[in-house]
Amino acid sequence: MATEKTDVVIVGVGAAGGIIAAELAKAGMKVIGLERGPRLKTEDFQLDELRYFQRLDLRPNPKRQPVTWRPNANARANRTNEQNNGNQAGGGTVHYGTLSWRMHESDFRARSATVERYGAAAIPQDSSLVDWPLSYADLEPFYDRAEYELGVSGKAGNLKGQKVDGGNPHEAPRAREYPMPPLQVDQAGATFESGAKKLGLHPFPSPRAITSQTYQGRPACSYCSFCQSFGCFIGAKSSILVTKLPEADTTGNFKLITGAMCYRVNSKDDRATGVSYYGPDGSDNTIEAELVIVAPFIYDNTRLLLLSKTEKFPNGLANSSGQLGRHLMAHIGARVFATYDDRRINIFMGPSAQRHTLDDFNADNFDHGGLSFIRGGQISVAPAALEAGPIGTAMNLPMPPGTPRWGAAYRDFMAKNFTRYLGITAQTENLPYADQMIDLDPNERDAWGLPAPRMTYDWRRPNERARIEYLQNKLEEVARATGATKVWRAPLGQGAPGAHHEGGTRMGSDPKTSVVNRYSQSWDLPNLFVVGSSTFPTMGSGFNPTLTIQALAYLTADAIVNKYRKSPGALVQA
Amino acid sequence: MKKLDEKRRAFLVGAAAGAGALAGKGLVNEAQAKPHEKHKTAAADSADTATSGHHEGHGAFFNDDDAKTVEAFAERIMPGAPGMPGAKDADVLNYIDLALSGAYADQQDFYRRGLAGLDAYCQATYKMPFVRLDAARQDAVITAMEEGKATGFAWPSAQQFFNTLRTHTMEGMFADPVYGGNKDFAGWKLVGFPGAQPVFTQADMQSKDAFKRVPMIGLQSQAKAPAKRT
Repeated sequence: MATEKTDVVIVGVGAAGGIIAAELAKAGMKVIGLERGPRLKTEDFQLDELRYFQRLDLRPNPKRQPVTWRPNANARANRTNEQNNGNQAGGGTVHYGTLSWRMHESDFRARSATVERYGAAAIPQDSSLVDWPLSYADLEPFYDRAEYELGVSGKAGNLKGQKVDGGNPHEAPRAREYPMPPLQVDQAGATFESGAKKLGLHPFPSPRAITSQTYQGRPACSYCSFCQSFGCFIGAKSSILVTKLPEADTTGNFKLITGAMCYRVNSKDDRATGVSYYGPDGSDNTIEAELVIVAPFIYDNTRLLLLSKTEKFPNGLANSSGQLGRHLMAHIGARVFATYDDRRINIFMGPSAQRHTLDDFNADNFDHGGLSFIRGGQISVAPAALEAGPIGTAMNLPMPPGTPRWGAAYRDFMAKNFTRYLGITAQTENLPYADQMIDLDPNERDAWGLPAPRMTYDWRRPNERARIEYLQNKLEEVARATGATKVWRAPLGQGAPGAHHEGGTRMGSDPKTSVVNRYSQSWDLPNLFVVGSSTFPTMGSGFNPTLTIQALAYLTADAIVNKYRKSPGALVQA
Repeated sequence: MKKLDEKRRAFLVGAAAGAGALAGKGLVNEAQAKPHEKHKTAAADSADTATSGHHEGHGAFFNDDDAKTVEAFAERIMPGAPGMPGAKDADVLNYIDLALSGAYADQQDFYRRGLAGLDAYCQATYKMPFVRLDAARQDAVITAMEEGKATGFAWPSAQQFFNTLRTHTMEGMFADPVYGGNKDFAGWKLVGFPGAQPVFTQADMQSKDAFKRVPMIGLQSQAKAPAKRT
């Protein structure tokens, strides 16, 4: 059993933890990062669909690190077979699809904006829809830093309030252009664009954390398409692994401990004193720190605090509000597929995830008057598994009605259409509901003997169902407008949480109804910060959360370096 | 490190082009994981040639009967036809056999019990093992499993076993040949996937035609390249 002392300990060095590690180390603080998985190198990564997509090599092993799900509190939870998050230094940014969105201005005040436009009755009574404790303008400088320091390719749609052709017309004002132009358009993007334009919609290239040209010494993307689910074999993906971790290394103030499973945040009264973790050899170790930053994926943010309960916090550390674990949200997917007899799409080329996007039906960008739901979804073109290889396609492309999923007819369909299909997807918002939650599973334990995180969740609520139905119709309209030979809907999911899990340590303005303040600082223990999408009070929109996670991490790091260090204590007075 | 990445990419671009020149219109050769020949038995020799295909001898995990059953089942999931490589052509059996003796070793009992269930169902319904049934009856058996109507299965259920066999057949068809299936890129040829291409150009991506610029590339042809790890 080893005990170390340091200024700062960070649990999880992914999208959020990696940024905070580099920023605090650069400011001269001694930082130790704990990472459950290994630290891989660019030269470790292969163009191997079986290993990385199908066998989920960069994700947690669900047998060793189970997560369970049940649709409601009366059902028994079962293990999920696949987890979204990463399991190595750099976290999910190593394998993610790199979509790097800023939220819209009104996304930060979803409750107020909805009430102003449609009246309070438009919000479902059981939804805990709220405003964020900060505004888009507060976060803009940190979005900017994330885009430039990490490296995002895209096209501005709104420069300081001036609309810019070619970008997203619904974009919130930004101080400057993206650091790199958008990635090249592939045939899937071009086909989607032509169809959407025929309908008078506004398609644009999705902003992605991939180099479209040489950037900060990293080479430009080579469009291999082994992207979503894969680590980039040339380092063109702007993951935390190739951006912030090397930056942290050069300070001499950062130490990364891999194979470290943190099982407890230690505390005395209302002060965190450090963490305990199991080493790769099973050893039980302790780190004493002035500042504790908890930044793993959302399951472990909630779980770790629940496991760290004390006499003072019997319901979980930092949980005087009783909100810990609540308001779990996930993007809800709807998909339509199309095939083309007159052309090849060759969707196996180019960075695979959502290539081209429509923001027209996202958030509150369209009038919901007369509709039976609020909020919306992002529409984009993508392969069946987001990744475009033949295994992913065989496993995730639902057959059109009348075509079986095996046998000669299936073979013929795949032989003809693997190069001739595309998918159009809606990634839709999930309103927060207090009873959608994470807690500790009483029956399942992980390889360290700790209770597994258990999700209680079912997206099939009236507001969400109505929105999905509306967006499925839009997807079909767009697909038909592209001149497709055949268009069909994928069946909807059965209530389980989809991509981009958020919530559990909700951020807010009131310590009675939230776990952390706008700086991701615990209301209860001011030297404890909980960072990541677990703090999102609402999903914001159908946009992927990573850039917002990264902007919030920069905001937290800035507050620690420039405010907290001078005057340790609560950064927001309750 | 960053310089190395650029060098590496430049090399891979060259390797792709070089492989193309070397192989002409053909494909880059892949080393194949082959089943062991040493356990070849009289039973295997005398097996019904209609069901045993080209696959001879004992592999790493399955006994001979189970190997024939899995091979026949996979062939109905992805049947071969002239110009259309199927599961036998891709050596899906070899892929599954190697996987069950390695990465999927924890599924050995799943297969043993699933195959026992399959045999029980076929014997009860047709008084014959799966491999002796004609293609139409084999398809009827698989349909009954897919729809959960096949009796005689406990754990795994008929549907679970069908789903796993379908998944593993697709893996054996389409995974990189380094894993023992997708022989001579049979699966990739079937659907027109060019494999582990390190680079696509703007012209490639904007084309509305089939991609034919360079041959299919597998991991081993990249690994064999001399400059890779230097």
